[in-house]
Amino acid sequence: MRKRLTLIPGIVLIAVMFLIPVGIVFQQGLFDPVFSLDHFERFATRGAYMRIFWNTLQVSAVVALVCLLIGYPIAYFIVRQPPSRRPFLMFLVLVPMWMSILARTYAWMVVLGKEGIINQSLLAVGLIDAPIKMLFTTGAVYVGMVQIMLPILIVTCFSSMTEIDQSLLRAARIMGASPRKAFREVFLPLSAEGAITGTLIVFILSIGFFIVPALIGGRKDVLMANVISNQVSQTNWGFAAALAIVLLVATLAILTVVRTASAKLVHHNEEAH
Amino acid sequence: MTQLSKLTALTVSATLAASVAFADDTLTYAGSGGGLAQVMKGVFDDPFAAETGVTVNALATSDRASALKAMQVAGKVAWDVAELNPIEYATASLSGWLEPLDWAAIDPDGVLPQDAKLADAGIAATFSTIMAVRTDQLPEGKQMTSWADFWDVETFPGGRALQNQPIDNLEFALIADGVAPADVYTVLATEEGQDRAFAKLDEIKPYITAWWTAGAQPVQMLSDGEVAYTSAWNGRITKLAEEGVPVEINWNGGGIKASYVAIVKGSEKADLGQKYISYMMTSPERSAQFASMVPYPAMVKGLYDHIPEEKGVMMPTHPNNIDGQFVTDAVFWGKNLSELKERWEDWIFE
Repeated sequence: MRKRLTLIPGIVLIAVMFLIPVGIVFQQGLFDPVFSLDHFERFATRGAYMRIFWNTLQVSAVVALVCLLIGYPIAYFIVRQPPSRRPFLMFLVLVPMWMSILARTYAWMVVLGKEGIINQSLLAVGLIDAPIKMLFTTGAVYVGMVQIMLPILIVTCFSSMTEIDQSLLRAARIMGASPRKAFREVFLPLSAEGAITGTLIVFILSIGFFIVPALIGGRKDVLMANVISNQVSQTNWGFAAALAIVLLVATLAILTVVRTASAKLVHHNEEAH
Repeated sequence: MTQLSKLTALTVSATLAASVAFADDTLTYAGSGGGLAQVMKGVFDDPFAAETGVTVNALATSDRASALKAMQVAGKVAWDVAELNPIEYATASLSGWLEPLDWAAIDPDGVLPQDAKLADAGIAATFSTIMAVRTDQLPEGKQMTSWADFWDVETFPGGRALQNQPIDNLEFALIADGVAPADVYTVLATEEGQDRAFAKLDEIKPYITAWWTAGAQPVQMLSDGEVAYTSAWNGRITKLAEEGVPVEINWNGGGIKASYVAIVKGSEKADLGQKYISYMMTSPERSAQFASMVPYPAMVKGLYDHIPEEKGVMMPTHPNNIDGQFVTDAVFWGKNLSELKERWEDWIFE
């Protein structure tokens, strides 16, 4: 009973800071002033919004997967280092997070631009005759977003990997498993949950992104958050709320599916052993 | 009463009066912060406080239309005077979130032109969306002087940028298509006129390197050589030219926009607000001082008598520059933005 009492401040905080605002968003999207689905109809029937919605999900999924492919090996590398060296390596991973996203995005302009570092170097060594268009493309959006999201994935993977008992790997090796097999049979299943969680966090954060696509993307790289912010500043709150609801529901649905699937996968692995 | 006690009494009462004045007489001004607020503090706020005892509490705000809406919905007004861009003004004015202004009291000597005195706002400053040209990237012996030239990719090859929104671009397209700046909004008010503007934009679309969304972007792209020609806000290009980048402003066909000041509906200090607006708008000397620090001139008569010519020619309302430009119609956009913005989003995706 006493344990439950200590939960009350936390519950009150979440209710006031989170549940009530979300409730207001739902109310704004669904009642204008009486119940109507007009805003959702507008979303579904105007071509642009559906396209932007799918584009958002696709970009977020690609960013999350690329982060996983790059971030997981980095986290694995760090966790295999002697514990005394790990804090420094993690420090290097975290340093970029202290810089403003805006500044980092502008920095990409200097790197990817027509007269940017990459094009200048390629021109100088004669690999290309004319500058390649990299800035203001979907590729630039991926590069910019992956760079921002990568530390989040590495940190999540790393913290779940440190909980794995390293002697299990040694035991597997003593029992005759090759290094590759020891990794695949022991380390990978144990670290899978952290990796999936990290990927999901990156995916969810990407869904709400708008600075990077707005600054270094092409004309088609518009994400839902850009549209919502436009609608808010045009004081179309009802429609902005409806778009936010669509995004929230879609995110929750995807989250549920991935969580269920991954729980089955992890559980299945545990049974197999 | 001795001399000393008299003095003490005087000091005490003066201190009391001052503190009472301080408590009562502050005015909350919703501006845009940053460098502009610094300049306004020196030119308007501090002398205003010295003369009237009213302290101006200047806030750095953005997205003011939705903030005003929130205040009206909640019935709790946190601002007295607000600085508004054209769309914010149109939204606020059409929704009735602004107090009417008494111009006989604000401008008793008639130093402001009628255009600057709206029923519920005053035009405090102007800027213009102009065409910025990297002069070193122009073809030998050629000058880019109009939006028709901007559309002419044969004569003027090179990267181009425009802002990612219908405002300005539909006007520029019609001007490039031969519509006189004065007739732009008559044409744009019709369905055929809008089709005509989008059809003209179709022609230039493949040649646009980037559709910018923040005012710093065209500046960055010009200085990096990413594009040779772009629409941009005049003040930023003046700064860029001062930094030594070979850029020039082409004023012809530019869209002049106003920065409005207005009193928020329900403010308890409407009278003080009017005094502040009057102080800000009706002195050519002060306005000249302001415009010499940021190139966003006011509309008060006699302004250019107080500004050195070489600075004056860099400003949108200077007699040399004003003729080829049009004034962005805030009310037209207030009414049509939602619809045209949707069409724009569809168009940009195609």
